[in-house]
Parts: sequence; C-alpha cells; structure tokens
Amino acid sequence: MANTWGYGAMTNHLGDIQNAKAIIIFGANPAVNHPVGFGHFLKAKERNNAQIIVVDPRMTKTAAKADLYAQIRPGTDIPFMYGMLHLIFKNGWDNKRFVNDRVYGMDEVRKEAKKWTPEKTADVTGVSKELIIQIATVYAKSTPGTLIWAMGLTQHTIGSSNTRMAPILQLALGNMGEEGGGCNILRGHDNVQGATDMCCLSHTLPGYYGLSKGSWGYFAKSWGVDFDWLKGRFQDEKMMSTKGYTLAKWYSGVLAGKPGEDKIHGTPLKALFVMGNGITSISQQAKVKEALDNLELIVLADPFVNEAAILTDKQDDVFILPAATQFETSGSVTATNRSAQWRSKVVDPMYESKPDHEIMFEFAKRLGFYDEFVKGMLLAADPKTGEIKQVKDTFQWPEDATNEIARIIKTIGLTGWTAERLKKHQENWHMFDEVSLRGFGPMKGEYYGLPWPCWTEDHSGSPVLYDIHRPVKEGGMGFRNRFGLEHDGVSQLAGASATVAHSKVKGGYPEITATNIEEVLGITLTEEEKKHIGKNWKVDTSGIIARKCMEAGIAPYGNAKARAKVWTFPDQIPMHREPLHSPRPDLVKKYPTYKDKPNHYRTDTKYASVQNEKDWSKEFPINLVTGRLVNLNGAGIENRASKYLAKLTPEMFCDIHPDLAYKHGIRNGHMMWIYSPEGAKIKVKARFSYSVQPDRVFIPFHFAGVFEGKDLSDRYPEGTAPYAVGESANTVTNYGYDIITQIPETKAGLCRIEKA
Amino acid sequence: MKKLIIYLLGASFVGAGELIGGKVPLATPDSGASRGENPLASSQMLQNILQYKDGYGEQFLHFQTEWFKPLFMYIGIGVLVVFLLHYLIIGPKRFSHERRQFYIFSLFMRVIHWIAAIGFVLIVPTGFMMVFGDALGGGTLVRNARYLHSIGTVLFAISLVPMFLAWFIPMLPTLDDIKWLFIAGGYLSKKKREIPAGKFNAGQKMWFWLAMLGGLVMIATGALMYFQTVDVNQLLQYIGITAEKDQIEYLRLSAIVHNFLGMVIAALFITHLYMSIFAIKGALDSMISGKKSEDELKHLHSSYYRKLIKKENKSSL
Amino acid sequence: MSEYARMKFYCDDERCIECNGCSVACAEAHELPVGINRRKVVTLNEGIFGKETSISIACMHCTDAPCEQVCPVDCFYIREDGIVLHDKDTCIGCGYCLYACPFGAPQFPKDGAFGTRGVMDKCTMCAGGPEETNSEKERELYGQNRIAEGKVPMCAAMCSTKALIVGDEQEVSKIYRERVASRGKGVQSAPYGWSTAYKN
Repeated sequence: MANTWGYGAMTNHLGDIQNAKAIIIFGANPAVNHPVGFGHFLKAKERNNAQIIVVDPRMTKTAAKADLYAQIRPGTDIPFMYGMLHLIFKNGWDNKRFVNDRVYGMDEVRKEAKKWTPEKTADVTGVSKELIIQIATVYAKSTPGTLIWAMGLTQHTIGSSNTRMAPILQLALGNMGEEGGGCNILRGHDNVQGATDMCCLSHTLPGYYGLSKGSWGYFAKSWGVDFDWLKGRFQDEKMMSTKGYTLAKWYSGVLAGKPGEDKIHGTPLKALFVMGNGITSISQQAKVKEALDNLELIVLADPFVNEAAILTDKQDDVFILPAATQFETSGSVTATNRSAQWRSKVVDPMYESKPDHEIMFEFAKRLGFYDEFVKGMLLAADPKTGEIKQVKDTFQWPEDATNEIARIIKTIGLTGWTAERLKKHQENWHMFDEVSLRGFGPMKGEYYGLPWPCWTEDHSGSPVLYDIHRPVKEGGMGFRNRFGLEHDGVSQLAGASATVAHSKVKGGYPEITATNIEEVLGITLTEEEKKHIGKNWKVDTSGIIARKCMEAGIAPYGNAKARAKVWTFPDQIPMHREPLHSPRPDLVKKYPTYKDKPNHYRTDTKYASVQNEKDWSKEFPINLVTGRLVNLNGAGIENRASKYLAKLTPEMFCDIHPDLAYKHGIRNGHMMWIYSPEGAKIKVKARFSYSVQPDRVFIPFHFAGVFEGKDLSDRYPEGTAPYAVGESANTVTNYGYDIITQIPETKAGLCRIEKA
Repeated sequence: MKKLIIYLLGASFVGAGELIGGKVPLATPDSGASRGENPLASSQMLQNILQYKDGYGEQFLHFQTEWFKPLFMYIGIGVLVVFLLHYLIIGPKRFSHERRQFYIFSLFMRVIHWIAAIGFVLIVPTGFMMVFGDALGGGTLVRNARYLHSIGTVLFAISLVPMFLAWFIPMLPTLDDIKWLFIAGGYLSKKKREIPAGKFNAGQKMWFWLAMLGGLVMIATGALMYFQTVDVNQLLQYIGITAEKDQIEYLRLSAIVHNFLGMVIAALFITHLYMSIFAIKGALDSMISGKKSEDELKHLHSSYYRKLIKKENKSSL
Repeated sequence: MSEYARMKFYCDDERCIECNGCSVACAEAHELPVGINRRKVVTLNEGIFGKETSISIACMHCTDAPCEQVCPVDCFYIREDGIVLHDKDTCIGCGYCLYACPFGAPQFPKDGAFGTRGVMDKCTMCAGGPEETNSEKERELYGQNRIAEGKVPMCAAMCSTKALIVGDEQEVSKIYRERVASRGKGVQSAPYGWSTAYKN
C-alpha cells in the first residue's frame, strides 16, 4: 500500500466503519479476530443499512453476518477484484473525476480489467458469475464503501500485488479519503502497529527511514552518537545498508550449505534472540525445527515458555528469560488505526520477570553499549534552532522514551505524540465520539489517540488519511509525494481540483524540502530560519517546516497522485499469478509465478522452480486453508495456558466437509493425517463442518507442542506446560514467499489427507 | 454351576450388541454429541426451547407439581392401611413347622434373593424420602437418601439377571394362576385349604414379572437420570434403532416413567413384604434355611406339592 | 435501578458472533470448575451461509420458574427483582430442575466422592446465594455477587458486540426495540426464548 499512495497503514478507523454503506471483506475474519471491533460492523449494518460482503475460502463467523458471501478459491483475489473492476469500468460506475485528479496509471488497469469477464473470473476464482456481478453491483453502487482485509490477502506469493489491487479498486470507485471508505487493514496483535512503526524489521530504521547513509546520519545525530561508532558496529559500511533476514525465512541463514537449502548471501546465523514472538507462526515448522537444532545459542524472552524451546531437540545453550506482560509495565501502544493509547502499569512484575526494556538494558550493560543505547532519552531539540543537546542526566522510563520517539520520527508525523498528550487522552477517553473520534469538552480539537500523522506538538491527529475535505491542521491531506515529481512525462502531483481544504496552494504540490519551501508555500524565511531548517521535512529537527506548513494548510509530505502502476515492481500493475502449489495446473500455465529471486533478504528464494517441479495437484489435491480461532491468539503460548480459553478448544482439529471425509473413511472426531508437499505431516482430529467445501480443509494455527504425531509436552520445564497442546498448522504449510516482503504463503497451499 | 453358565451367556448377549453396532450412520455435524460433546449442551438445545410445550418438559412439570406427591402419599398410606385392616380382620396364616421340611431354595438363590431384598429395602424407603424431601428439610439427610438409593440399585442390579434366568420357567403363567386369581389366593378367608399354585403362586408371579421387567426399566431410567450425559441416541444406534430425540427429552421421559412405575413397584413391594413377614408366618425362615414346611407347601402350593411327592415316590421305586 | 425493577436477560442473535466471551468471563469471574458452563453459546447450522446463528444461553430467571416448582426439597427462592436462586446446602442433586428447565440451565458438577454428581449449579445473574452477601462462603459456593455491588453481571459486561444485555425489563425492551426498528427487519413478537421464560 505504501507503494500506492505513501503510507502502508489502515487509512480510516474502526468507528468510521459505521459510516460505510458497503463493507467488503477480503480474507479477514473480524468477527473472530476483532470481536469487539466487529460491533462497529454490526452497527453499520443495523443503523446505516450497510451491506456486508465477505470473500473468503471458508464460511467464517464474519460471513455468517454477511449479506453476500463468495467462497473463493485461495489465492485468486486479484482475478476477483479485476472481475469487479471489469464491471465497474464497463458500467461507468468508476469515479472518473477522482481518478483523473488523484490517480496515475489507471489506464493500464482498465486495459487489464477488460480481459477479466465474469465468465473468466468465475472459472479462475470458483465463484459463480452471477454472484460476482451481484457483488460488484452492490459494492459499486453503495458508497461510501470500505474495503477490509487482513492476513488472508497478504500471506501469498503475490501478497504485495494483492495489497495494491485492493487500493486500486477503492481508488477506481473514489472511496479513498472519505468517511466510511478507505482501506481498513485490521492489524491483529496488541501494538503490532506500534512495532511496525518502530520497524522491528531487517530492512529499515525506525519510522520507515530505510537504511540509506543519510538516514543513518540523521539517526546518529538524533541519538547523540557518533556516526563512525555506529558504523563500527557493522562488518563494513556496506552492511549498514544491506537488508538482513526476515522472520519468515531466517532458517535459511542457519541451514544454508545443506543439500536442497537456499543459498545465502553474507554470513550465516549462529544465534537467535526471540523477544515476544511465537516461533510457530512461521510456515515450514520442520525447517524451523532443524534450524533451531543447528543454532549455537537460543535465547527466548517471553512471559510463557516459548514453543521454540519445546520444538527443538537442542539440549544445551537454550535460555528462557521471563519477560513481564503488558500489565506489569507502562508506555504507549499504537492501535490498528494509528491511534496511540497510554497504558499504565497495574501490577509489579511478578517473581523474577522483567519488562522487555529492562532485559534489553541489562544486555546492553553487559555488552558494553548501554550509554549509547539510552543517550537519546537524555536529549532534546532546541525549540528555535533545532539543535540537539543533552538536557538531563537520568531518564524517566517510559515518558522519555515516548518523547524521544516524538522528537525523532517525522516520516509518519509522530511529533505530536508527547507522553503528556497521550496521558491526557487516557484520562479523558470518555470525552471522544465513537464514530468520528472527535473530542469534546477538554479534548476539543483533538482526535482520540492523535492518529498519525500528527505533524506538530499541537496537531489534532489524522483519523482519515488522504481526506482533502479537511484542512491539514485538522487531519486532512492528499496522497503522499513519495515517488518523484514525474514519470514517463506525466506529472505525479495531484490535479488542479484536488485541493486540500483551506490550503494556500491549489491542487498538488511536492514534498517540502529546505530548497522548495519558499516557492511552494509562497513565503520567505528569515536568515535564522534558513540557518536551522532541516534538509527536508523528514529530517527537520527544528520543526520549522512542519510549523510553516500548518500555517499554510500544507501537508509536509506533498499532495500527489496515488499510483496504480508501481514501476519498480516486477509486476507494474498487479497481475494474477497462481500460488506455487496450485490445484489448477491449467491455470499455472496461463498465470505462472515469478522467476526465482536471488538475494531476496539475503537468501535465494525459489518461485518458478517450485511451481514447475511437478504437478502438485495430482498428489496433493486438497486446498489447505489456515486461520484463527476466537479464543486463541497467535502461537497460542499465552492462551493455551489459560484454563477456560483452552477448554473451548482443547485439541487441534481440522474442519472437513463430511463428503470429503467419507471418501477417505474419516469419521467425525477421529484422527486423520495431513501431509504437505514438503514432506511434513500432522495428526489431527477431524471435525465435520459445512463451512468448507469438499475441495479444501481448514486448520487453526494456534497450537503447538506436538510435532508430527509426537507429543513434546514432557519437554516443558516443571509447571510451565499449557493446558492444551496440539500439532502446529505451520508444520504442513509449504514453501512460498511474497516477492517483495517475503511474507510466507500460508494462505494458499495444498495437502493430502489420510485416515489415521 | 449350571446357573453360572446361564448367567455368563446372558451377560454376553449385552456385549454382542456392541459388535453388531459397528457400522451405523453417524450423527450430523450439527449435533455436538457426535464430537463427544455433552449431549445435554448440543445445538439441539435451541430448538428444544421452542418445542418445550410439545415435548415432555411441560408434562413432567405438570406431573411433578400436581400428581406425583399426592399419588405416592395415597399409595404409601393406602396400601399400609389396607394390609393393617387385613391383619386385624383376617389375620395371618399359620402353618405347622413340626412336620417334614422340604429343601426348596438353594444357597445360591437365597443369597441372590437376600441381595435383592437388601437392595429393595434401601431403594424403596429412600425413594419415598426423596419424593417428600421438602417435608424432611432437604439437605444432607435427603442427599444421603439419594446416595443410598443408588447403592441399593447396584445391589438389585447384581441380583436381577441370575434371579431372572433361574426362575424364568417356574414363573411362567399356568392355568393354576387363573384359579388362584379368582379366589384371591385364599387370603380373603381364614380357612385353611389347598390353593392351586405351582412352585410360585400367581401373586408371586405378578410380583416377579413386575420386579424383573419393571425393575429393569427402573434401573435403566434411574441410571440415565444418574449419569445424565450417557448418549441415548448413540446407545440406541448400537442396537439398530435410529432415534434423534434430544437427550433432555429422554431424561424427562425417564423421570415420568420412573415415578409412575415406582408407585406401582412400591405398592407391590409393600404387599410382598406384608405377605412374607406378616401374612404367612414362617416365610422369613425359609429365606434363611431354604426349607419350607410340608404343611405350608401342601396348602399354599398344592400343585407343586403333588409334583414333589410324585417325584419322590418315583425315585424310591 | 428502580425499586420495582424486574431483571431479564436478552441475547440478540443478530449480533452474537459466538466469541464465547460471555462463557469465559463467567467462568473466570466465579472460578468455576472446568466441567461447568453456566453460560454457553449454541450455534445452529454452523457453516451454512444465511442460516448460521448463534445465541448465548444460561438461566433466564423465568417469571414462573419451573425449576422452582418441581424441586422436591424446595431449595429455590425467587427474589423481588425476578432473579431465581437456590440453596446448595438444601439441594440433593436429583436433577428434576434440569428436566423442568426449557433452557437446560441447571448443571451438576462431578465433584462428589468417586466423581459422583454433586449438587446443582447454575447462573445466578451474579447475585450470589442465600449466604451472607459478599461473604467468603457465598463466593466459594455461588461466585461473585455483583448485583449487590451495583455492577452489571459479568457476561453482559464482557459481551464483545453487546449482543447479550441484562437489566431491568423496561431498559432491555427499549434497547431491543430500537435495534429492531433500525434494522427494519427481524421483527419478532418477542426475542428468542422470551415467551417461554417470561410469558409475555
């Protein structure tokens, strides 16, 4: 999404869904994964007569509340959306003015959409053409419409194309920047958005700054550490800007060199430090296990025993550190809609557990960089000059950490997220409107949680992204100018009528830098200001750019067109490609996957060579659908240790249609084997259900503790075993990674089933 | 020894049912019962709420609030009163025990009968205690009565199959029984005369069949109410009957049947007790020694007596 | 709550998403043994589009509670505000209340000697039992007494989508009517199960 219009986060917010007239959900299950948030969907249905449309390979709890439901073949979301666009363009339901002014590259999409007739779409997706026509009609005609998605759309080899296709659909209909519209990706875990914003990833610095030398320089300055000292932490300067491994495929870093394993570029991995991550949430657990066995050091910091400790056969050098839970520490967390909320400690860390930051500080002390590590919290920027200097000798956690983030991260506009403001929101959280997030009384003029971008220290927050009907001071803005000023001779800036409310500049304008600020805003800077102003809005520690922009009603990041065509991607406009393991060999020929990608996050990642290895559908004819349960969360480490939550689903199971089960002689409640193309297998209980069709089965992914039929729960340290253990679904998910992000393809795989 | 073999044969009949039931159609995915869930809490509960009036629920409510207690009271008191009057007006039958004693009941049968007797003595009074639980104040007293009721059931259940198999043939109806019934067994007169009856008279036969078959029903319904979650539909499938009634309906039906049948059994049990303890002096001794006096046999079981004498004469020839 | 409040439960099957939050909240709040589900969520036609519905069921605290009528030891008592409670010390665990109940609310934990069935346990609408209010004994036997503290029963307080509502009948009816009116459909003469429980 970031490649389409600048930011890759949920564009509206949950309460805003109550403004929608149509809600289409692709590969998400909010009734199960966001039960409280789903109340907004139901209220929209009740009060706003919103139509809920669900497109999902199985009949989920969300689909049970839907008005229209399409049971799609896994991995065929792009054809479905093209099918919808075909009808939208054909019938003229697209918002031409919006597209003209604010979108680049839609013509190529139009051309491609022409090919996807309802008949062809029906053949590829498995949804009847009448239903496709009905869904497209209802969705296009009920505006504003909001598009929801989650893992079901992202976890594919074409995940990055899926997540561009959905914005394109919304752009075509003009649903962006509207209340009740937008692309609402529902993030799952508590504070996962916060973790994403801080970029706990191997290819960027916090705040999406990337790994360029300029970014490193900015951070060195902001953290108060010497650039050369930072450089000295790496093998060489080149490595500073080289991407690392991903969570999905770190195992390649350990197993490289063994027969059949992907080649790696750079040094292999010897040690693993896991902090609050469920290892069983990655595909190909058999490989993960092998990698764990071959590491020299494993450290796991979690409130409950991480499954990795149980999965591995390794006997020595596996350390478990007790981390404190979120109730035992304070700080800010970021919700899926980019709002921050302040959390207060309610109980002191129990027994010997320590909050995560203390664990890190202790390591930093022993590894010799503690002073540099915490320096940033002792610094502040001079309000006039922007010069960074030390203002205290000891820091106050978490307030100073929060303020440090607010000071440094400007790319997503966290400037307004001072600890003081966030705490005030926490104390006054009853003073905000549920649907619009507007505050009243003492919170008037602010939106709940100050959704980023919150450009200045008194900015209101931006609940609805790309909304040009609001002035920038109140959260309005156009699309981000991130991709240059022109491409192929076409200006990338927004059209003349896409003027942001109360803006000094008509139409589009570029992102603000020190060199173009005077011209774009039509102002003159004083000499003092010219001396202290930062190079561009992302690194301006003086805050001058942000302030001047607010005065002029300008968004510092520009006002550009969203691009339907990403010229740096292998598929410039999203194209359908069959999953690596596809049940339709005829379609594999027509829509093959990518060529193998070398040095994809340090590992050579296979695509075509896996897909063409053999006709997988012969031996593995069943689609494997994975998903979640309402009472368990993530790898299930926490919840399976809760008595009543584990009681609801005490065993790992597989939802299977009775017809398919009888074909294999599997009885309800009896055990069955699921085999994966990688050679792994799991033994689970069969559970008859009509929610899946006879060509697919569904397995929940929250279980661990049993591996290929063998119960490993006796490996738990005394007293730490959870109430429920079971096979991990990820033992049988197969090879397949997104071409851009390397997210595993857990949502479109094949398997073979057998009676146990 | 013979009896033991019969007993084992009988027990294996029950086991065979399991083997036959190997290939039966499964319950639909909808009923949680097929997944091993509690059959009382499956999704059929919802439909049952609306069908409450048409099912046994309302009936049970009606019977329990209007009928059971009064009926048990009338029967309990009534039967006792009737026999008190009988004892006062007509009086017991006395037989001489000086003369010859015939050995009628083997040790095995006596033991079985005693087990059944203790069982019944535990079951029937505690049953009454539960019916009138509120008058007794509920709580520990009545709860223990309930536990004793189940212990008694186990005892009776042990005795049931051997007793049934051993006395099945002698208890079959004969012509004597019709004659016996016409004269009410001779208990309405003080005269001592020969009564047409085999080893067991019609009264004993009636009680036998009621206790055995009725007892089986009582055990089944009682066990169902005790265990609550034994899946009845599953059990029925094992013997080849496809039924889809909700589990709670079986429980309600059991409660209704158990109460009504309980009244009948209680009435006849009190009768049996009266007969054996008061109406015929010396009957209790027979339970211990297994012997009956010639006098008693000649008069109360005349056909049987004649048969015994004939057999004796034949063997002595 | 007014002096003349009559407490009722209402579960809106249009909003219930079978998240089981009510069931887990109740179990946690009253520290129930694992075999007991005072409140359970039942789903009909699971997996069939257009037909699947879920609803949360527990004791409805009926107006003419049949359980109270059939109990052989008379251990039930009905409060002024309509909440039906029972005395566990008097109860003998016979099961008649379960047979009489249209909703299957009474349950019998297997916590006697040798795993035998103990006395009856059921939803108390978080109103405790006959023991002294908010005493340790009351909490042990019956769970929290939230009504005495002026709090909402746990299940409805935790319902994710506010499908489950509990409170004075006037308030609950008002909310139900508003929802039906804004939906413009699904008008029933009474919510599912109400006519059996409340006879109106």
